[in-house]
Amino acid sequence: MSVLARSVGNAFRNKIRTAAVVAVLAVAIGLALAMLVANQAVGAKVQELNASVGTTLTVNPAGGQGFEGGGEPLTTAEAGTAASVANVTSVVGTKALRLQTATTGTTGTTQQAGPGGGFGPGGQQATVSTSLVAAIDAGTLGNRNNASGNSGTTGNTGTSNLPARALPITATGIGAEVDSTGKALNITSGTGLGDYNTATGKALVGTSLAEKNSLSVGSTFTVQDKTFTVTGIFDAGTAFGNNAVYMTLPEAQTLAATPDELSSMIVTVNSMENVDSTKTAVQSALGADKADVTQGQRNLETAVSSLDSVKNISLVAFIAALATAGIIILLIMVMLVRERRREIGVLKAIGAPNRTIGLQFVLESLVLVALGSVVGAVIASFASGGIASALISSNTSTTAAPTTQRGGGLAGAVPNGAVPGGGGFPGGGQGGPFGGASQLLTSVTASLSPGVLAAGIAAVFAVAIIGALVPALLTARIRPIEVLRGE
Amino acid sequence: MIEVKDLVRQFKSGDRTIKPVNGVSFELEKGSLSSIVGKSGSGKSTLLSLLGALDKPTSGDVVVDGVSLAGLPDGKLTEYRRRDIGFVFQQFNLIPNLSAVDNVMLPMEFAGIRKAARLKRAKELLEQVQLDPEKQSRRVNRLSGGEQQRVAIARALANEPKLILADEPTGNLDEQTGEHIIELLSSLSRDHNTTILVVTHDRSLAQKTERCFRLQQGKLTEEVRTGSRR
Repeated sequence: MSVLARSVGNAFRNKIRTAAVVAVLAVAIGLALAMLVANQAVGAKVQELNASVGTTLTVNPAGGQGFEGGGEPLTTAEAGTAASVANVTSVVGTKALRLQTATTGTTGTTQQAGPGGGFGPGGQQATVSTSLVAAIDAGTLGNRNNASGNSGTTGNTGTSNLPARALPITATGIGAEVDSTGKALNITSGTGLGDYNTATGKALVGTSLAEKNSLSVGSTFTVQDKTFTVTGIFDAGTAFGNNAVYMTLPEAQTLAATPDELSSMIVTVNSMENVDSTKTAVQSALGADKADVTQGQRNLETAVSSLDSVKNISLVAFIAALATAGIIILLIMVMLVRERRREIGVLKAIGAPNRTIGLQFVLESLVLVALGSVVGAVIASFASGGIASALISSNTSTTAAPTTQRGGGLAGAVPNGAVPGGGGFPGGGQGGPFGGASQLLTSVTASLSPGVLAAGIAAVFAVAIIGALVPALLTARIRPIEVLRGE
Repeated sequence: MIEVKDLVRQFKSGDRTIKPVNGVSFELEKGSLSSIVGKSGSGKSTLLSLLGALDKPTSGDVVVDGVSLAGLPDGKLTEYRRRDIGFVFQQFNLIPNLSAVDNVMLPMEFAGIRKAARLKRAKELLEQVQLDPEKQSRRVNRLSGGEQQRVAIARALANEPKLILADEPTGNLDEQTGEHIIELLSSLSRDHNTTILVVTHDRSLAQKTERCFRLQQGKLTEEVRTGSRR
């Protein structure tokens, strides 16, 4: 019988005690794993937020934003100026267009200067004709806006009896594979546009717009007599956002006949801490009379801060649970060593080296930990979602981050659910479909992945070995004469 | 050859100093079978533990084949016990949750003998001490006292030690099995040149050994024998 076999045998010598020890260990290990899951999930979310939105600034022409306002357009030269500011990692220019469904004899580009609500954009967006039909019906709001837009003093010629209007489609020229807020596009089928710095005749189409126009990857449509091929279909997450088209920046600039102009710029800062100072620096570099720099995700900072708190709490709880598991092992093994002093003395009397006896006790503790880990992993797979949601909901109630829990890959069935969250944050940037920060804090997925499980179990085993080493070393101090003294 | 030189072991008990072994000197020839008799508490087991390097003497020395135990570090003493000593304890001191054969295999495992070889030898030894084959794989805590004693003797023989120290080896055995064990020990000393020292109350067992020592008040005296063993 080997040391390992003897250790396994010893672990089951007293089955009731073994069951009790495994149960206590399982709770500690399960809690540790659940906390690790929460920590990893929140950490990944924070990283994602910081990477996607949390560190972006939006630059609009001074006095203009979206379909509102006036002022002078931004230029590609100003994008270069912004890019040269310290801590700026990238600048992505956008060019917004309005696509109006073509009717006979109305193709062409129109620079309109009406109020923002209706047909007349505030000077930023060129309206061009397209073969596409908008995926959104005008409805009451659209027709009301139509009436309001055409009754303006500087708008199109108005009539008192306006026909039901067809809503325009938002088209945006982009310099990278991001939406108009700087968030990575969620392409559900097909691919991106490839080279975003040349006019390629390719386009990405929102899901509802594609459905309305029976478009799929490889389909074509026209914008101002130019044929575009659909390379991908994206999901923006909102009905308005999916009634949109993305094309390369040069393409949009060409269609608008304003090759050097930008509707907005998305400036990415290297870290959250530098956002405020960089905002000031970019504003200063571009001039207050030229550009408005906004940080639309201000509230997101609070959300990230809260998530950071959750991350810290879960880390502390993970360490505490690990330490608890270690202490449990330590105490159990000390108890076992004391209980088996005579047996240890016998083993020494018949020639067992100290290291063999010590190893036997360490292995015995690892057997208990292995059993505890199996049960703990099951506990964690069921509890991690609930624990993560409890932590997040209690720490982010003011920032209203919707949270979704998902069961682990190992254990599988974990109830899904949504933590009461809240609405989105007011979005910054130009008048594109900015659905608020709720879109960005879409979910914190707390799942017990194999990687997290392996890391957690490795940490548990490391702590268990440390916990078992002390009693194992105690065995070295037992003298074999104690065997005979008891006789 | 084992030489015991002026061996003293003393303990403190309150204000008193007890010397269960007080200036003991003797020699044991290789392959001899000897016995120590004495009253309970006379220090017989203490003397055995000193000879077996389970305990360290207050003064004096035990020299085994020219090697002084007094100067050896703990690691070497462990090696000495593993390689050169076979213990038969009065209370058997078997590992209760292991089978008879596993208990016998333990010293061989510590000596680094391969599993197949130690399993074969363990079974042979258990047959030598007349343990029923069907009981060899039974946990020792389910064996009778006599059976456990036989397993303890088999374990002591596992590594073919130079010296077997047996504390009341026949104390829990019936007369017939006791006779067999005595014969086994005799044959070991005779045929395998193993030195055997037995502590016993059993005068008939003591009579069958070559030399018989009496331990009284910490002092060892050798009884003069009229007959010859074997």
